[in-house]
Amino acid sequence: MNLIEVRNINKYFYQPTKMQVLNNVDLDIEKGHFVSITGKSGSGKSTLLYLLSTMDTDFDGSIRINGEEMQGKRNRWLADFRNHHIGFVFQFHYLLPEFTALRNVMLPALKLARYTPAEIEHRAMDLLQLLGVEAQANKRASLLSGGQQQRVAIARALINEPLIIMGDEPTGNLDSQNAAIVFDLFRQLSSERGQTILTVTHDDDFARRSDKVIHLVDGRIAD
Amino acid sequence: MKLITNIKLAATIAFTHMRTRLKQTLIATAGVTFGITVFIFMVSFIQGSNDFVQAVAFEQSPHLRLYNEIQTAPANIIDRTHPGNINLVSHVKPKDILLNLKDGPQVVQALQQDPRVAAVSGAVSTQVFYRLGSSSINGTINGIRFEQENALFNLQAKLVEGSFKELATLPNSLVVGVGLARRLNVKTGDRLEVTTDKGNNFSVKVVGIFKTGLTDIDKQQSYASLHTVQRFLEVPVSYITDIKIKLHDMELAPAMLPELQAKYGVHGSDWKQDNSALLEGDALRKMIVYGVAVTILLVAGFGIFNILTMMIYEKMKDIAILKAMGFSDTDIRWIFLVQALMIGITGALMGLVFGFLAAYGISKMPYKSDVMITLDHLPVSFSAVYYVTGFTFGMLTTTLAGYLPSRKAARVDPITILRG
Repeated sequence: MNLIEVRNINKYFYQPTKMQVLNNVDLDIEKGHFVSITGKSGSGKSTLLYLLSTMDTDFDGSIRINGEEMQGKRNRWLADFRNHHIGFVFQFHYLLPEFTALRNVMLPALKLARYTPAEIEHRAMDLLQLLGVEAQANKRASLLSGGQQQRVAIARALINEPLIIMGDEPTGNLDSQNAAIVFDLFRQLSSERGQTILTVTHDDDFARRSDKVIHLVDGRIAD
Repeated sequence: MKLITNIKLAATIAFTHMRTRLKQTLIATAGVTFGITVFIFMVSFIQGSNDFVQAVAFEQSPHLRLYNEIQTAPANIIDRTHPGNINLVSHVKPKDILLNLKDGPQVVQALQQDPRVAAVSGAVSTQVFYRLGSSSINGTINGIRFEQENALFNLQAKLVEGSFKELATLPNSLVVGVGLARRLNVKTGDRLEVTTDKGNNFSVKVVGIFKTGLTDIDKQQSYASLHTVQRFLEVPVSYITDIKIKLHDMELAPAMLPELQAKYGVHGSDWKQDNSALLEGDALRKMIVYGVAVTILLVAGFGIFNILTMMIYEKMKDIAILKAMGFSDTDIRWIFLVQALMIGITGALMGLVFGFLAAYGISKMPYKSDVMITLDHLPVSFSAVYYVTGFTFGMLTTTLAGYLPSRKAARVDPITILRG
């Protein structure tokens, strides 16, 4: 079953001049796959990811995730959809610096409000343990090292048991040792938990070891 | 239910933001506090002074006055005898009329039966010269029935020395204003001469001295019994020139005036006409207070606006990440609106407390004045209306000051920030 179906996507940038970034992109991603999007800088790989993230709504064509059409939906609906089904991991860890690591992980779940705050805290602690950063739970996010922050960010992406985890160069800002830890984590999530993972990367090694690679050249998918 | 949990979550994020920016938050709160404090303080003080001045003036002013006035006839006789002609009469002179009210004592009795009327007093007032030795000062004498007049103006409380009671028992006795007594250098028991406008002289005895607090009255007015003044004027006992009325509800006065004028065929005025300058002054002073308060609150509002706008620039990344997590535009707006509201509520409440304390403080300050003789402390009003108004003002300004930046925060495009 295809979790993501992309049909005939065209995307333009208007600043500084009108420019086509994505050109008739079609792609399908199956549930449980670990997919990498690669390409040179300017090839449109990040643009494609942010379209799939539902945060960029300005495009022509159709994106269906889990059977739901994303085109033409309102901000509140899309925010709710992201909250339920999409977890993000970014190159720069983007934790909220004033909150503790634990609180950062809890926030998306508190927003979802599927469980009580006490249960959410318990689940967040479990995830921090799984990622090996439970010792940092009550430290402020700004005091953690880069590798620790990225693991907290992954825990945050997992807290609502999303359909998809999206990563924008999740290992791009990590040393090779931490990058290997993060990659192994993704691999493990995909194979053991059947988690769908979609990441943009320019790390060839990372891409080679994923289930599927989507390579973009000048806004088109190269075969 | 979902809305409430969303706002609660936004509030906890807002509180974390405020805690990490404690100094800025406190300064913004202090701005609102200061604005509301000044508003409460000024409006209490000014309203207190207004109330005091009004109380002094209104105590001397009846709600309704009925009297006669010398007037030029509106139509002349030649127009009536030769209608249709063009009649020219140059320089018509006003007719000399008796200034008394027709059937005055009966009108007083009739008014006493009126359920709207609290008290009525019929009086004769006339211009006289007070003379002692070579000096002569002009002024007015009010011929009154003490019990009636006292019911209207609480004369007894204004007596400085002597007694009003002797007016009725001792012929040709006067109670004089404190300023008049000082000018004539007389005290209780002294005698002086009174000359009426018809040239008659009477020797009178001062039996008391009163003080109203209004200089204009105190320095030229005196009270005598109704009969004494009627005798001075050589008029019968039915002759009265003024009927003063106190109502249970003073706001009815303007409506009652035309009714009484038509019924008894007399002139009249109500307290609003008599004190129009005073009332206008009150309204203007109140406008000034509100103007100053709104200005201060606007400045405080700009403070909140600035702090939130700066915070939003600092928090662009946080806003983007919250949006990626699934926080909607509305949730983001609440985060910043809650901060503004918290600053507003705290600032406004503290402003009310400090404003009250400041107002209470000056109400205890001793104050002596030659003009307002009955004043010993600064007059301050503690009406709850100003506290409600102040709080509402504060909340309105801060909500507006918070709404604009929070809308800006809600519009932040997460992609431009997350892509770097």
